Amino acid sequence: MTKLSGRFQSLIGHHFDVDVSHNLRGYFYAGSAFRRYLEWLLFGLFLLFIFPVRPVLGQKEVITRHYEDEGPVIRKRLITLSPTAYKIRHRITMADSHLGLRFYQYRSCIDCHPRQARNLHKMRAGISCRQCHGTEPIAGIKHHYSPMNPKRRHAYICAKCHKGASSSFAKYIVHEPNPAYLATKDTFPVLFYVFWLMAAIAAGTFATFLPYMVMLGMRELLPHNFQWSIKELLVRWIKSR
Amino acid sequence: MTLIKRFTLAQRLFHLVLMLCFVTQAVTGLARMYITTDWGKFLASLFGGYYGTLNIHWWVGLFMLAAFCVHIAYLFRRVDWKRLPGSIYGPDSILPRPEDASQAVQHIGWLLGLSKYPRIDRWTYLEKFDYWAVFWGICILGSTGVILYNPVFSSQYMPGWILNVLLWVHRIEALLAMGHVFIIHFFIAHLRRNNFPMDMAMFDGSVDLAKLRLERPAWVARMKQSGVLKRQIASEVTMEKRVLFYILGYAVMAIGVFLLIGGLVNSTALVW
Repeated sequence: MTKLSGRFQSLIGHHFDVDVSHNLRGYFYAGSAFRRYLEWLLFGLFLLFIFPVRPVLGQKEVITRHYEDEGPVIRKRLITLSPTAYKIRHRITMADSHLGLRFYQYRSCIDCHPRQARNLHKMRAGISCRQCHGTEPIAGIKHHYSPMNPKRRHAYICAKCHKGASSSFAKYIVHEPNPAYLATKDTFPVLFYVFWLMAAIAAGTFATFLPYMVMLGMRELLPHNFQWSIKELLVRWIKSR
Repeated sequence: MTLIKRFTLAQRLFHLVLMLCFVTQAVTGLARMYITTDWGKFLASLFGGYYGTLNIHWWVGLFMLAAFCVHIAYLFRRVDWKRLPGSIYGPDSILPRPEDASQAVQHIGWLLGLSKYPRIDRWTYLEKFDYWAVFWGICILGSTGVILYNPVFSSQYMPGWILNVLLWVHRIEALLAMGHVFIIHFFIAHLRRNNFPMDMAMFDGSVDLAKLRLERPAWVARMKQSGVLKRQIASEVTMEKRVLFYILGYAVMAIGVFLLIGGLVNSTALVW
């Protein structure tokens, strides 16, 4: 084998002032730099085997005993809402979030929440609003004992169909906003930017290759002096002006 | 007519497997995406409804990833490890080279009638782009697909809203791939004048020398100089095989055009 040069020789050879490059086994001498790296690597793998990386996102509430921490107390907000906003916004903490709405029982959900009808659960699996949101009274999502409360949503709602759903699983956005809309930049920025990045890649590809395809087709289909005649026409047109 | 060998049997088999898997994934994937429309329901009914379609999409996807791993192993096998830096930057390699940029500019000049045809070697810049586009596409579609395969499991390692994002990445990348194959790839392989009615190189593995002299002059010159041109001469395939290749190629193209037109026509009724 030829003499190793450059990085490899300087990495291993200079420690011991020997030319180890004549034999690959030189890498594995006890105490060689490479051998030490290998040992640490194996030790790391061993540690990973003993203490494997476990998914923790789904087990947060088990560790922190989330359920006992907070009682059914409505905490006062630091920045108070306007009276009109408060009238609507505070409903998310009420036991019956639709309490006192006029003609409530004669209306369907979509009458007041039209955007929420557009989701894959309804469109693909044919799931109705009530199958997740429950029967009357529908508690606000921030109400402590609401099944839709993020603390227990995964167990009370998602796990009805998705067995083993964790609280991280319940962070999936069922009522996904349209990623193309500018409003999504505020509500779900990652989706907005990733969507437009991918769309730009796709649009860029087609914007490059569709004209290319047409040009290639024309070049091969038309007589070979066609382009030259276009050029001549152009020159004649410029001269005539 | 002298035929020159251009693709090995393994390379052609990779293309065949990719082609069949891609069409299956396109049909099942579009069936899922358009399931709210009649057209999507028709596509799904071919595979036993929504859940049958889902199953086939998953299994063929896993098969495709396995085939991708085999392809990676094949690449490692083919690399000449002894003459390493030079061997993968040579003209026989599919890796991009500095010449490709200048050849692309010159080729576009040729399309406009402004310059001579470039001295293209074994691979054109467009073929290299196509190869790496598929490579990147399989990486993206495969990884997002595997994550989305079992959301309950994968959401233990990432917050659930990542799945919203990954589903969109999967969709747009798939639409890009389908659009590219059904419009641009099919046009270049079937409809352009030099290849009409079908470029057989990827199926019978050989190209006419006269055509190569026009399209890839540098490769022919290089083969002649090193004296391998004579060894590269291939025999013509039988008529039965040729008919089979035509039927296969046109069947896949018909499916592609059907999906393209159906997808565009029904896109107004689409619910994401």
